[in-house]
Parts: sequence; C-alpha cells; structure tokens
Amino acid sequence: MRYLLRRLGHALFLLAGVSILAFLFTALAPGNYFDEMRLNPQIASETVAALRAKYGFDKPLPVRYASWLSSVIHGEMGFSLAYNSPVAPLLLVRARNTLLLTVTATLLSWAVALPLGVWSAERLGHLPDRLLSWGTAALLVIPDLALALGLLALAVRSGWFPTGGMASVSFETLSPLNKLRDLALHSILPVTALVLSALPLLVGHVRAAVADVLNAPFLLAAVGHGIPRRTLLYRYALPAAANPLISLLGFSIGALLSGSLLIEVVMSWPGLGPLLLEAILARDLYVVVGGILFSTLFLVGGNLLADLLLYCADPRIRTESSGQ
Amino acid sequence: MKRTRANNHCCWILSSLLLSLFALLGHQAAASPQQKSTKEELLVLPGEAGRLGGRLVVSLRGEPKTLNPLIAVDARSRDVIGVMQADLVHINRATQLTEPALAKSWKISADGLAYTLVLRQGLKFSDGQALDADDVLFTFRVYLDESVHAPQRDLLMVGGKPIAVRKLDAHTVHFQLPKTYGVGERLFDGLAILPRHLLEKPYQDGKLGQIGSLATAGDQWAGLGPFRLKEYIAGQRLVLERNPYYWKSDAQGNRLPYLDELVFLFVPNADAQVLKFQSGETDMISQLGAENFSVLSKQQRGYTMVDAGPGLEYNFLFFNLNDLGDKTSPETGRKQKWFREVKFRQAVSAAVDREAIVRLVYQGRGAALWGLVAPGNRRWGNEKLAHPARSLERARELLKEANFSWSNGPNGQSILLDSNGNPVEFSVLTSSSNADRAKMAALLQDDLKQLGMHVQVVPLEFRSLLDRVTQSKEYDACVMGIASFDADPNPDINVWLSSGGTHLWNPSQAHPATPWEAEIDRLIEEQMSARTFEQRKKLYDRAQEVLAENQPMIFLASPNILAGAKNSIGNFHPAVLEPYVLWNVEQLYLKNGTENATR
Repeated sequence: MRYLLRRLGHALFLLAGVSILAFLFTALAPGNYFDEMRLNPQIASETVAALRAKYGFDKPLPVRYASWLSSVIHGEMGFSLAYNSPVAPLLLVRARNTLLLTVTATLLSWAVALPLGVWSAERLGHLPDRLLSWGTAALLVIPDLALALGLLALAVRSGWFPTGGMASVSFETLSPLNKLRDLALHSILPVTALVLSALPLLVGHVRAAVADVLNAPFLLAAVGHGIPRRTLLYRYALPAAANPLISLLGFSIGALLSGSLLIEVVMSWPGLGPLLLEAILARDLYVVVGGILFSTLFLVGGNLLADLLLYCADPRIRTESSGQ
Repeated sequence: MKRTRANNHCCWILSSLLLSLFALLGHQAAASPQQKSTKEELLVLPGEAGRLGGRLVVSLRGEPKTLNPLIAVDARSRDVIGVMQADLVHINRATQLTEPALAKSWKISADGLAYTLVLRQGLKFSDGQALDADDVLFTFRVYLDESVHAPQRDLLMVGGKPIAVRKLDAHTVHFQLPKTYGVGERLFDGLAILPRHLLEKPYQDGKLGQIGSLATAGDQWAGLGPFRLKEYIAGQRLVLERNPYYWKSDAQGNRLPYLDELVFLFVPNADAQVLKFQSGETDMISQLGAENFSVLSKQQRGYTMVDAGPGLEYNFLFFNLNDLGDKTSPETGRKQKWFREVKFRQAVSAAVDREAIVRLVYQGRGAALWGLVAPGNRRWGNEKLAHPARSLERARELLKEANFSWSNGPNGQSILLDSNGNPVEFSVLTSSSNADRAKMAALLQDDLKQLGMHVQVVPLEFRSLLDRVTQSKEYDACVMGIASFDADPNPDINVWLSSGGTHLWNPSQAHPATPWEAEIDRLIEEQMSARTFEQRKKLYDRAQEVLAENQPMIFLASPNILAGAKNSIGNFHPAVLEPYVLWNVEQLYLKNGTENATR
C-alpha cells in the first residue's frame, strides 16, 4: 500500500511538472494564434488586439497558468481558440479514435512478438534466428513515414483498401455488421504500419530476455528432468524472463496516445495526431498543452501499472520495499 | 388586402393543379415542403440544366472550426459557411461582377452615399422561417457591434465611421454611408445574412461567440445558402443536405441545388487529398500544386483536370524597411542602408528571373508578376505597367549608380561591396511549410549570386516567420504571398496604406515614412471615395506605377488555379476567385443521377 501511495505521489508530481513545462514552452514559442489574422488584409490590427485581450493573452504567464489550472479542475482543460470551445471534449472524441487504433496495434504486436521472440531465442545463432534478426533490423531502419506511405501507395494501386480515414462516407447507413467490416477495412493499413514499426523492438527484447534465462542452471536442470520443450519455454523460461518485458509493456501503454500521431496524420486517421499537429502549427496553446497532458497521463499510468505488475511478479521487489 | 388574399388563393389552386399534373406525368418536381407560392421570388439561373439528386464528396485540408460567420477566420470554415449562407449582393466568381442575390435590386443615390436594397419576397431560411428586413437590420447591427469582434466590422467602417442601416418597409433596407465608397455594392458580397430568430437571444446574452460550433444540432442552425447542416463527425467529416427553401431555380423551374448531399471529408494534408481523389473517394479537388496536377493529368482515369489560369495570389520578396529606432543593431543599420536605396531594390528586381520561377516552381502553370494586381484580375491591372525582361547588365548599372562596386573573392567569384567596402550579404526568410516559396527563394539566391550578392535562405515555421516579420522585426528580407479575396482593390487596402497592418515592409506607420508612400496613401484613399470605375481605375493605375518604380515589394509570380473533377460531375467550371470549385455548388450535378450516392 505504501508502495502504491509513493508511486502515485511520484505520478502527480510528474504531471504537475510536465504541465508547467508544456505550458511554458508552448507559450514561449515564437508567434501566436492571432498572427495569421494579422496577415489578413481585411482584418484591422485593432480587432486582433481586442481578440487577444478577450482571451486573456495580454495577461502575464502565471495568471494564465492559474486560470488554465482552474479550468482543468472544472474538466474543461482550457479553451481552444481555433474551435472556440473547451479543449476536453475535443480531445476526448479523438483520443477514443486513437486508442481504438493503438490498443489493437499494441495487442497484436505483443501477440506476434512473444512467440516470435521465444522461437528465435530457442534457435539463438542458427539460421532461422539470423534471418529473423535481419528481418527485424530491416524493419527497424525503415522510417515509420516511409512504411505508411508505402502502404498507402499499395492501397491506391491495388484498390483493396481505402486510402486513409476511419470510415466510409456512407458509414451511418450501414448495418452493424457492415459497420464493423468497414471499420476493420479502414484500420488494416494503419494497424499494420504500427505493428510493423513496433515489432522489431519487442521481438528483440523478448529474444534477449528469454535467451538470458535459457542458459540459467534451473532450466538446465529442468531439461535434465525431461520436461517437454513447450512447457519448459512458456511455463518456466518466460515468467523468469518477465521483468524487463513488464517494464516494456509499461512503455507500450504509455505510448498508446502518442505513438501513432505520425501514422494518423499520414493516413488521415481522425485521432489526436491531426488535431495536435494543426494546433501546434496554429499555436492553439491549450489544445497542445491538453494533448501533452493526456499522453503524459498515459505514460505515467503505464509505468504505474508496470510497477504494480512487477511488484506482483517479482518477490525480490516485494521484500525490498517492505524491508525499507 | 382582400384582393391579395384572393389572388393568392387563385394562384395556389392553379399551382396545385399544375403540380398534380406534373406528378401525373411522372415529372420530377422540385422537392419542396412548401410549394411555390405566388410571393416567392426565386432567382432563375441560366445555364446548363442538371439532374436532381445524389451526393458530392470533396475533401478539406483539415477540419473547419465553426459554422458561425461572426467568428470564422480560417479558410476551411469560410468554405463551409460559403455554401450554407448567402449575401444580399453577390460577386459572380466567373465574371468578377456583382449580381443580385437576396436583394433583387438596388439603387444608389446621386451623391453615392445612400444605398436602397430591395429584398426578394417570400424567402425562407433553411429552417423554414421567413426572411425580412429585420433580419438584415439585425445582421448589420451584430456585425458593427464592437463587443462582438466580428471580422466583418472592419469592412463596414468607411472612413473610420460605421455604415448606418435603416428599414424602409418589410422588404426594403436603406444603407447610409458616412462618405462615398468606391467599391459600391461589392461591399455586400460575402456578408452572410443571419437568422434573427435564432441569434437574437444569444446576442442579448452576449453569447454569440459561443454558438455555431460544428457539433450544433441541425435544427439549431439555419442559413440562406444552398445547403444546411445534417451531421458532423468530429475529425472525420461534415455532411450537409440540400436546403429545401433555397431561393434559386434553373431555367426549367427546378429549385436548386441539384445535389441532395454535400460531404466535406477532413484530410490532414495535400498529398492525402490527391490520393483520395485518385482512388475515387472524393469527386472534386482544388488548390492543387503544379506537381500533383501534372501527376493527376498524366493518369486520368475517369476525371478531368482543369487549369483555370492565373489566380489572385501574388508572391513577392520584400526587405526590412522598418524604422527600428534605438533597437537598430549596427549590422541591421548597415543592411537597411542598402535596402532603403531604391536603385538597390530596382537592381534586385532586374536580376530576378521571373520566367524561370514560373517554369521551375510552377512547371509553367503560373504567370510572371511585375505588380500587385495578379493577371487573374480582369479589370484592375495596369496594362501600361512595364514588364522588363531579366537584365543583369541593367542591374549592374543601377548598383554602380548607387555606389556599389565589385571585388574578386578567393575563388574567383565576384563579390558585391557597398560604398564602405562591406560585402553585400543578407538572409531571406521563407515559410518552411510552403515548398513553392522555398523554391522561389532558392532561385532568387542563385539569381542574386550573379550580381555578387551572398544570400542565405532561412526556412522558418510559418508562425515564427510571421512573428519575426510583424512583431520583432528581426529579419533582412522575406519571400511571402498573399491571395486576394476579390478582384476589387478594396480587400488589399491594408497592403497599400502605410498605416495598414499588412503593409509588410514597414507596417502600421503613424505617418508615411517616404514621399512615395504618402503618394500611394493619397491615391488609394482618393480611389476609395471616387464615384466611377474609370476614376478609380486611373488613380489605382497610378498607385501601381508608384509601387513599380519604388519596388518595396519585388513581385515574382502568380500560380494558376488548378482543379479536377470526376467526368460525372456536371457544370464543373473552376473560377480563379475563392471558392474555386464550389462557387456554383447549387448548379453542380451528377450526370449519372444518384449513382454516386450508393457507392
């Protein structure tokens, strides 16, 4: 319990720090939301000044931070200048779409990476392992952007998949089953891109962790007892190799909101990516800060979860923290 | 009173009879909940008659932000609002001339100060509520209210004073201008007439800025445009449906628009827009770059690409001519001495290879530019303005006259020196998100190298660039572009006037810094209050000449308006004025009827 409380305290402290820094840096970035209006010859500079004052942009930074903080407490997370509405609802709708994409991709990439890593660790140094290493290395060096563009080019050429977006124009008129099919069809390309870009790292880590354990004396003893290979690998080796993998899972969860931003922009997925990119370019301050805060929340949450899992999985950590 | 009612009754019976006859014949009558009553004065549009029904899908580069014309400042919101709202007098995007819209006629008094507009009878907003002079009165009261901060307010201030609006009867409105205004009835273009029945309460509560978000329910929002709100899906698309009360019909008497639905897909970048069009997911595309245009033109599969010719965007180079006072660093001071020398600017202009810019940046789909009035503007360009070909000799002569000289550098290249022996080196800012302007800057760098000038190109993120140019004023030179909204000079007035915020080389001056800026101020202001087109044109021509002599902006090139549509789209005629392909959206139709709708 004390362990949990301490971790929660850390998390809150981190969130506060990130919000201050995010606020500071976005506010200090040159230019502001109203600059583009200044370039519009039809709008007088007095109008722009009046608008700035209306949204409180003439006030000092600490005052603006305080008023933003109070709006966070009220669940609004500030005000989007561009959309002329509170930030939270804007982010929530899009975060849902992002999560739909990333949760699928994360589950899928773990489901592929675990058996692949174990399989490869077992054949460490042999031809299949080497081929796999080369394959993952090749995937690792292809930038996400190139991967996404390649997949999109495939979609245009073949006509098998829609070229980006999350649903067809006639989505609302489809039957529930066809809706699901439409959604699946639209998510194949972005999910593939995300899985392919996450896979090399995951496979590498699983392989290394399992390979480490495979040489451990207790496993050699198990082999000597004639325990079948499959049971050996998945019942004994994998749990023993779990520690680094659990930490990695924490990161995977932490990256759920921020890991797909680029893919979303390229593939026109209506998630946080396009919204944040536009907000950054337009200096829509509170949307940017809100987006950063959201993904920090996930990062912190992911790490917290990983810590708790480790606490459960590893007796050493339990004794260490109770000993303190 | 009695007679009118009797008349109404007669006509109602007659029209019902006619309608049932049509129905019997299987003729597709205009789908309207209220059958054409005697009083409804529809505007009949000439031109190709189309077929009713179907859905048109277009992509927008990103999401629109609002449906509320009072707060919309971004181009996408304006695109959407443009098809949902209507104005009193409209500028025809093809002819660039005004034509009647909600007002069927107007009269201008002899002194040019009073405008009397007569509204069409029997018109209704898209929610079925009637339009009358009170809506017009309300609209202008809101636009002019300082506390609303509407961007339209600045357009309605003439000589610093607001236009006074008065109702003469239920369908006649009187506008009193404080001073003659050369633009005349063009003033009314783009000023959406707002539904008083929906907005009056929010206005009184001071909440006008908070309504009209995209998530508004369809029955809470209304306009006079061809389409009305049906559905918005955050981050994905906006679906509009035909306004059954729209006030235009075709020559055959069909009520417009032809389309049942208009869908805007939100696509975050230009290349994704091209992919969507290529794969047939969208029906039309506009604002294409030359490269994408030529790719699409090469592999035409069921669509037609159209080059509508040069538009109204002008791209230019300008130098920092701001008076920075005490903040001037010695280095900036030294450079500004060159920039202030008119012969230096003329030499730069003479050395620029505009044809090469058109060829290399726009792949030939653009026009070289020597003045602010782009070639797409049919009426206002000064035909006598010289279009000198590129001449390095002329440039060198000018520099010599201004006491510049050359020396040989270590690698044998010539270096331009000023009268104090300092080498001429400066940087040019460009927006990193605009590939065309970055290319222009690179070509400029090369052109000026041949004069011995050492130019550095600095691509900056757009807001940072604007901050440098309009706020901190820490820059040497900059390549930028502005797209005019209208062919008339009025929308660009703040570029011309020394007091204007977009007088980019030295904005918002208290007094004109130079005699030629004072002369331009005088010409432009006189032109604004001149009565006839000829008088205005003469003054405006002279202003263009003064600008060309002094070269505070060195004009480079103007891109063509490039667009494309599926072959199945009828009445597709892209214009060079915004909105390039949707300006005649009420007349667009699907040649194969409703086939697209079920796709």
